[in-house]
Amino acid sequence: MPRVALVSIGVGGIAALAVAVAVYAYQQHRAPSAAEQWAMLDRYCEGCHNDAERAGELALDRLDPSRMHADAAVWEKVIRKLRGGLMPPPGEPRPGAERLEVFVGFLEDSLDTAARAAPNPGVPALRRLNRTEYANAVRDLIELPVDVEALLPGDDSVGGFDNIGSALSISPTLLQAYVSASATLSRLAVGDPSASPTLTTYRAPRDWQSGNHIDGQPLGTRGGYQVRHVFPLDAEYEIRISARSEDDVDLSLDGKRVALLPSKGRNARVAPLVVTAGAHTLGVALIRRHDTEGVDDLFAVHAESSGIASFTVNGPLHATGTGDTPSRRRIFSCFPAGPAEETPCATEILEGLATHAYRRPVAADDPALATLMDFYAAGRAEGSFDAGIQRALARLLVDPEFIFRIEDEPAGLPAGSVYRVSDVDLASRLSFFLWSSIPDDALLAAAAAGELRKPAVLEREVQRMLADPKAEALVTSFAVQWLQLRMVDAVSPENPKFDGNLRTALRKETELFFSSVLSEDRSVTDLLDADYTFVDERLARHYGLPNIRGSRFRRVELPPSSPRRGLLGQGSLLTLTSAPNRTSPVKRGQWVLNNLLGSPAPQPPANVETNLEETAPAGEATTMRERLQQHQANPSCAMCHSLIDPLGFALENFDSIGGWRDTEAGQPVNAHGTFIDGSELDGVAGLRGLLLERRVQFVQALTEKLLTYALGRTLEPYDMPVVRSIVRTAAKDDYRFSALVQGIVASEPMQFRMKLADEQPQQARVD
Amino acid sequence: MFITKKHLSRRTLLRGAGAAIALPLLDSMIPARTALAQTAAMPKTRLGGIYIPHGVTMDKWTPAKTGKGFELTEILSPLAPVRDQICVITGLTHAPVAPWAGEDSGGANNHNRAGAVFLSGAHPVKGNRAVCGPSIDQIAAARIGQDTPIPSIELALEQGGLNCDSGNTCAYINTLAWKSATLPLPMEHNPQVAFERLFGLGVTESERAVRRTEASSVLDSVLGQSAKLQGALPASDRRVFTDYLEEVREVERRVVQVDHLMSSGVELPEPPVGVPDNLEEHANLMFDLQVLAWKTEITRISTFMYGRELSNTIFPNSGVRESWHLASHHSNDRKNMDQYAVLNTYHVKLLTSFLSKLRATPDGDGTLLDHAMILYGSSLSDGNQHNFSPLPVLLAGGAAGQLEGGRHLAFKEGTPMSNLLLAILHKVGAPVDSIGDSTGVLEI
Repeated sequence: MPRVALVSIGVGGIAALAVAVAVYAYQQHRAPSAAEQWAMLDRYCEGCHNDAERAGELALDRLDPSRMHADAAVWEKVIRKLRGGLMPPPGEPRPGAERLEVFVGFLEDSLDTAARAAPNPGVPALRRLNRTEYANAVRDLIELPVDVEALLPGDDSVGGFDNIGSALSISPTLLQAYVSASATLSRLAVGDPSASPTLTTYRAPRDWQSGNHIDGQPLGTRGGYQVRHVFPLDAEYEIRISARSEDDVDLSLDGKRVALLPSKGRNARVAPLVVTAGAHTLGVALIRRHDTEGVDDLFAVHAESSGIASFTVNGPLHATGTGDTPSRRRIFSCFPAGPAEETPCATEILEGLATHAYRRPVAADDPALATLMDFYAAGRAEGSFDAGIQRALARLLVDPEFIFRIEDEPAGLPAGSVYRVSDVDLASRLSFFLWSSIPDDALLAAAAAGELRKPAVLEREVQRMLADPKAEALVTSFAVQWLQLRMVDAVSPENPKFDGNLRTALRKETELFFSSVLSEDRSVTDLLDADYTFVDERLARHYGLPNIRGSRFRRVELPPSSPRRGLLGQGSLLTLTSAPNRTSPVKRGQWVLNNLLGSPAPQPPANVETNLEETAPAGEATTMRERLQQHQANPSCAMCHSLIDPLGFALENFDSIGGWRDTEAGQPVNAHGTFIDGSELDGVAGLRGLLLERRVQFVQALTEKLLTYALGRTLEPYDMPVVRSIVRTAAKDDYRFSALVQGIVASEPMQFRMKLADEQPQQARVD
Repeated sequence: MFITKKHLSRRTLLRGAGAAIALPLLDSMIPARTALAQTAAMPKTRLGGIYIPHGVTMDKWTPAKTGKGFELTEILSPLAPVRDQICVITGLTHAPVAPWAGEDSGGANNHNRAGAVFLSGAHPVKGNRAVCGPSIDQIAAARIGQDTPIPSIELALEQGGLNCDSGNTCAYINTLAWKSATLPLPMEHNPQVAFERLFGLGVTESERAVRRTEASSVLDSVLGQSAKLQGALPASDRRVFTDYLEEVREVERRVVQVDHLMSSGVELPEPPVGVPDNLEEHANLMFDLQVLAWKTEITRISTFMYGRELSNTIFPNSGVRESWHLASHHSNDRKNMDQYAVLNTYHVKLLTSFLSKLRATPDGDGTLLDHAMILYGSSLSDGNQHNFSPLPVLLAGGAAGQLEGGRHLAFKEGTPMSNLLLAILHKVGAPVDSIGDSTGVLEI
């Protein structure tokens, strides 16, 4: 590739002049010319990144600035390094921060302009529903809560999300599970009068502590837990409770006590318990008689701890009928009064179910409906009308149109064409993004009427969907994965103050917090410094917040001086970024870079001993900071760790489970760090301040994650102009959450797709 | 919280509260005419692959003496009762664990690849799509697994689906089993779900039979419809859909074969109850399932993962209170290394109990252990260093007369572990020319 004239001239000796002009221009608040911008590369970058040295396998002098679009992948990487402060490396000359900003802005604008001329919305892989989407779809289709973990194998995630098409593989194991699940769920929903007794065991959450009242349990009780259980029929059931307490056991159904079981004995039994079909909340708890404290110690094989270990539901026994359940009300839009009405009624029922399940209008003459009617007829021939519907429902739940997100492609388009997806497909894209589920009647109706593509209608639908309780999926699926909150369930801190109740509370705080930003449509920058959070008594004690009593989570105001403001002060994140027995400033720093700043640090160079933190002699009274000083001693470590470590140091006042501490190993905590750009970070407030200064970078990082999640594919360099455009537009609306969502919904990759050539296999795009 | 379901007969319900606790599967098994009993003349080798993450304390694993006179080291000591059926193999290396140029710097990142390499010998390519290699269990499943109803079963102690290194697909860390380079198979940790995957859903065999009939008609219909649907798909989606149809056919074949096997009079114990609280009980149950699967020949191939790389699991009965990954980072401190060896020994003890059960189960002219070939080990050597040479691996079982036990085979350090994988395939009757980075068939 020939070098472009501008840069060649720079090498010819005019570079110094060009830079001088650039600096002058900048000082005069005049936008630097393109030539002045490109001269920046020569002055600050190409000393190493040239064709001869090829530092980092990068030769900027080989690139043609007039064809930036062709090298978008490289330029995006350059932008990320510059924005992240990683380049130029420490010790090398750097332009001033403002000049750098102008230059990066120039690179971005150039790429964005080029992209507008030839937009590429990408090609989503044919994607199946993931486990969460399957469960939500079943919930919305037939009003049945689904314990999906016992039904389907787990999904692999990539890029931090488990809804990415390229990772959602289809194994025989999965297909077999679909078939089994459809048989089970269709029987549960319709009601199977011949259902055999089933035994379901619910175990206490890990490390669950039973000393205190648990939110939602009857007053005067302690410990225990509640579950949502689907009772298959109106019938008798037997409940067996395995307790480790001398206190009486309270059993409640939908919040009302149904049995009080005498103490003594490690197991208690309630039978018969008559329950109507459908989902009910079952709770077990202990009557508070003694203020027994104690954790159910994993190691204490024979220790008398104070909790309820598990309880088991048996049934149905002596069933009296299928009952009147939400599922049946939802499915049976009609009941045949006589044989002549059966077929029309079955048609009506299945037409409705198929329309919802396949996310498209299904007409009376649709072959998909004929297939379902065949199954209905076979079931009806062997049994009742209900049995016919159940068989058809079982068939529907394994239909490829239900399992896959199939999108229509207009006939006759040449390969490489970019086309708008149909309104009906757009409806599904919307609902899986915002609800992790299928569209509802209103959304599907708007799509079927061809209204959805109208920007005003689309915007209104998005606002409606965000206000729907189903949008909670953006918390439980998106935010939980973005912030890696699932790891909170897996950590094993070696700290006597940690137990299952704290584990649950930590996660709940962050979920409620994110949920409030979503439901109140706040600026996403509030995630960094909101003046409130959510705590119960357990968490309040952990945080040292006074006067919070009881097990109910409530919103508390935080003064400006509170270290608990924003995500950085939340125990969930501080715990999941710690080692079991100590903090890890490196993990915390990386977490901030990856998830809040979107500029992950490079991997350590090859053949470097990275076990530094562990190699300090055990038991020696050194602080983590002292041990990490070793990073500075070795230049190959220092390059990245001078970026990572200070971010983590700023959080050193939080211990490994997010509690506040003023000393570590007998010395006062030093929560000071100098960020790579020279700014001083003092404690969590300093780090919060840094992130607020870089709010655009934060919003962009969040937008990248949200767009990845929305599209179900990892982002490519050609997506970055879209990301920047969404962020710029949202800025006008103070980065409200809905502004990001509306920006994503309105974007090219959300509304369009590209047609691939027939022979072209879907390539793994490796960056 | 684990939520599990179990179908119980009336008889069991009346048995009392004890039923809420998982019965050891084998204890409740009724001696039965198995399919094998009818084909006793030709015992077929059962193939197992068992993975332990994070390596072991190598100097407490590796025997000093080679050949038949080798000594059982501390970690191997639980194997004493089955020593004559054990081949300890040392000196092997799994080079594909190393990063390719530009991927990452190795070291701790090796965790993200090690599990996927174990049975494939292939390099897990960094990227948003799984690209690794077929694993020996699946190569065997394709060649010799088709004459059993279920070609293979994939089991684990831990649930998948947690976060992992975001630069890779989590498949690399979630599973050992690769049907092809691009198709990882999920591993099941819930013994009850695993039981249902093998034998089907239902309280009684007659209920299971009804479910199978329904499944057949559903699958048949899906196949017919999908062929039509495929033509209307965007070209880019067609290939995925072709793979899907192939799997539908495979599941249909399984249903027919299970039906066939069950009609031959196999008697099954009642399904286990969910996931036991106690990890040791859980591990034993997963092993019992493999014994049951192999005994009934519903499948002859299984893989089992004690833990994913980077596992935080604590094994309370091991006496080691640290989580697994943390314990592996012993910092070259002798005390910590010894402590890690205690955990390693515990894991071998669990293995031994599995092997003993296999030995106690008659199979044709011998025992299931005589007819088994089980590879146990890790793709990492010293978890503290994340190196992959020399690997701690051993083979157990007589491989139906193909493998002589009671030996320590020491190979030149750097010998590809893939050569052992190749040797295993040759001994189970699924010979291929090469796998992963193999350079030849290891002489074992």
